[in-house]
Amino acid sequence: MSLLRIHAQPSRGMVWILSWFLFAVGIAGYFYAAQERHRENPDERVMPTIAQMARGFADAALKPAEEEEAQGGASESLVSTIRASMLWKDTLASGRRFVISVGLLFPAVLLGLHMAMFPVIGAFFLRFILFFDKIVALSLLPILFIAFGIDELSKIMLIVIGVTPTIILDTFNLSKGVPPEQIVKGFTLGANDLSITYRIVLKQIWPRVLNGIRLNLKTVMLFLFAGEMIASTDGLAYRIALLRRHMGMDTIIPYVLWVALLLFLVDFGMNKLNHKLHPWFQEK
Amino acid sequence: MPDAAVLIDHVHVNYSERPVLNGISLAIDKGEFITIVGETGCGKSTLLRLILGEEKPTSGRVLVNGEERSQPDRQCGYVPQKYSLFPDKTVLDNVTFGPEITAFGVWSIFRGLHGRQMRGFREEALRYLRHTGLDEADARKYPYQLSGGMQQRVAIAQALIMKPPILLMDEAFSALDPATRTGMQRLIKTLWRESGTTIVFVTHNTREAVCLGTRIIALAKNSEGHGSSVALDLAVPDLDFDSEESDIGDLVREVESASVRDRPLVYN
Repeated sequence: MSLLRIHAQPSRGMVWILSWFLFAVGIAGYFYAAQERHRENPDERVMPTIAQMARGFADAALKPAEEEEAQGGASESLVSTIRASMLWKDTLASGRRFVISVGLLFPAVLLGLHMAMFPVIGAFFLRFILFFDKIVALSLLPILFIAFGIDELSKIMLIVIGVTPTIILDTFNLSKGVPPEQIVKGFTLGANDLSITYRIVLKQIWPRVLNGIRLNLKTVMLFLFAGEMIASTDGLAYRIALLRRHMGMDTIIPYVLWVALLLFLVDFGMNKLNHKLHPWFQEK
Repeated sequence: MPDAAVLIDHVHVNYSERPVLNGISLAIDKGEFITIVGETGCGKSTLLRLILGEEKPTSGRVLVNGEERSQPDRQCGYVPQKYSLFPDKTVLDNVTFGPEITAFGVWSIFRGLHGRQMRGFREEALRYLRHTGLDEADARKYPYQLSGGMQQRVAIAQALIMKPPILLMDEAFSALDPATRTGMQRLIKTLWRESGTTIVFVTHNTREAVCLGTRIIALAKNSEGHGSSVALDLAVPDLDFDSEESDIGDLVREVESASVRDRPLVYN
């Protein structure tokens, strides 16, 4: 079977093997290198073994965070143990910021929609947003910390500034892409400007908008991590930055994989929900 | 022409200095079935958009039921060649969209609160769908699950449920295969005879124009690039699709010779 044939039809088994191959090679390669380094230096900390990482993750997920240890409560149920753990508290802190930031993207969708549908609003905002989109959000970080302090607001503003122009312009383009025949048809069926905007255009672009937001989740997370790493007292990125100082790779690597797993689950869930809510939507 | 459904009065349309329509004057009476033919790029669809209110003439005026219009509205139903249905709505929701949006406006998202009225809309929509040859099982489908012919049937039902005084059809059957197309032609002719709606039907197919219309307008490009004008305005007998081939053939030849000077129009 030639690899470079457009009409190649790999079997199901072959597809399964091919799709997992790089995972297997990556994992095997890592553990081989880790074992070699540990054989040369038993105190090796840069590439922890699987046992060290399992221990590090168990400590993060099942032992109380430092501030809880001081209270020294007697051991309680598994649920309360997990809820008192470092991993849970960090996940909750980052999750809260993430949800607020994603929630703030929805007004951006409405702005993009109105810019596309109403030429006056489009003329007012478009040039400014196009310029704003070119500003490197991370370069604004010092200004944001000065303007909004180092609390939650500056971190959320960083995400908003970093991601909303993309969402606004994406929604603008999607709305402009609705065939003009549909808009004319709407008018001939008695719809007014607002009905056409919300009942025809928004409803048609909505699954694609959700897809756009879904594909930007990693960018949201990127800005969230930048904010947390620089100025925060909790959160997944704060913990990774803190552990870096102690070379705590046995916890950092599981944390990185945990973040990837959470993002994958959110992405998977949003994609499934999108197709469930919009059965007419055929794009993958 | 006080009774004209559409009055087009010395209309010129230029696109960035390039003339498209050159001094078109037409009066379309109520209840007529007008077919507009002409070769590609001669301004048939532009003429339709002028009647819709989607476009403004560079000079001259277009009156629909005696009034100039600033944008499309319920005066004219519209069936385009493609994108004729809302892809996010089922067939039934596509047909009830017009009555719903007229009754509730943008608040039709809360249409569930108006159960009895919505039931009435659905029953009426189903009547129109049955009339166009679709059934209740089709009503639950989304547009992507329908063939091109079925989609155009729904589009016609969607337009007719609003009982528009004028129905504008822009190459509405052009994308259909010949058998489906013939079925749709029979359907629209029957619906026209029953409803008495004024129909303006744009097509590049001369045979379709001859068999459907009671009056044929042929647009032709002027030889020196001055835009198109009316080359033929011909009242024709209300032909059936089973009419003598010689009757149809003679008319087809007459329309083609008027509308195209150097090459024949395509027909199938």
